[in-house]
Amino acid sequence: MIYIFLLFLVILTLFLRFFKGVEVKTILTLYLLGLIIFLFSFTVAEMPPFGSPDNPAFNEVPQRYLEAGVAETGAVNIVSSVIIDYRAFDTLGEATVLFVAIAAVIATLKSH
Amino acid sequence: MRITSRLVTPFIQVYGIYVILHGHLSPGGGFSGGAIFGASLILIALSFNLEAGVKQISHQTASILESGGVLGFLLTGLVAIIFGGNYLANQAAGFPIGQAGELFSAGAILIITVFVGIKVASTIVTLFYNIIEGEK
Repeated sequence: MIYIFLLFLVILTLFLRFFKGVEVKTILTLYLLGLIIFLFSFTVAEMPPFGSPDNPAFNEVPQRYLEAGVAETGAVNIVSSVIIDYRAFDTLGEATVLFVAIAAVIATLKSH
Repeated sequence: MRITSRLVTPFIQVYGIYVILHGHLSPGGGFSGGAIFGASLILIALSFNLEAGVKQISHQTASILESGGVLGFLLTGLVAIIFGGNYLANQAAGFPIGQAGELFSAGAILIITVFVGIKVASTIVTLFYNIIEGEK
C-alpha cells in the first residue's frame, strides 16, 4: 500500500517537473502542504461527534443558560442573552475592534 | 435600478430596525440588523451616485453615530456600576426586566442592542464611502 503511494508520488513529481514544467520548489511546497493536511485530518478524526450528549461542551454552563437564562435576563432569545448579558464584555471588545478598524481605514484612506 | 432601489430601500430600513429592536426576542440582533440598515444606505449610493448617498448621511453624522454607539455601550456598562452592580450587569444592577417575550423587556440587552446596531450601520457606511472615495 505504502509502496503504491510512494510510486504515485514519484510519477506525479516526474510528470509535474518534465511535462508541466513546474519548479522543484513548488512541488516540494505542495508535498509539505499535503503532509500538513494529512496530519490535521487525524485531529479532525479525533474530534467528538456532532451533537452527542457526552461532548465536553455540554457541561453545567450551557445547562444553566438554558434553564435560568429567561428568568435571569428576561430575553427569550438565548443567544442574545449570552452575547449581551452573560458575555457582554466580549461583545464590548467586538465593538471596540469595529471602532479601531474604521479608525484605521479613515486614517489610511481619507482623501481630503 | 433607481426606481427599484427607491421602492425597496424603505422596506429594507424598516426590516433592519425590526431586526435590531427584536434582538432579544427572535434571531438577529445589533450586528445583523445594523448590517441590513447599512446595506440599504449603500444601495442608495450604488444606484444613484456617491453624492446622493452622502446627502442621506454625511461623514460628520456617520462619525458622530460611530463614536456615539461605542460610548453608549460603555456608559450603559457604567450605569450598572452606579446602581451597584458589576460592569455591564443587567438584572443585578436593577435594570427593569419586564415580562419575558414583550418588546420592552430584558433591561440593558435592548439598550445595548440598539447602540450596537447604530454603530454597525454607521461603520459599514463609513467604510464603504471611504473606500470608494479613496479610489479617486
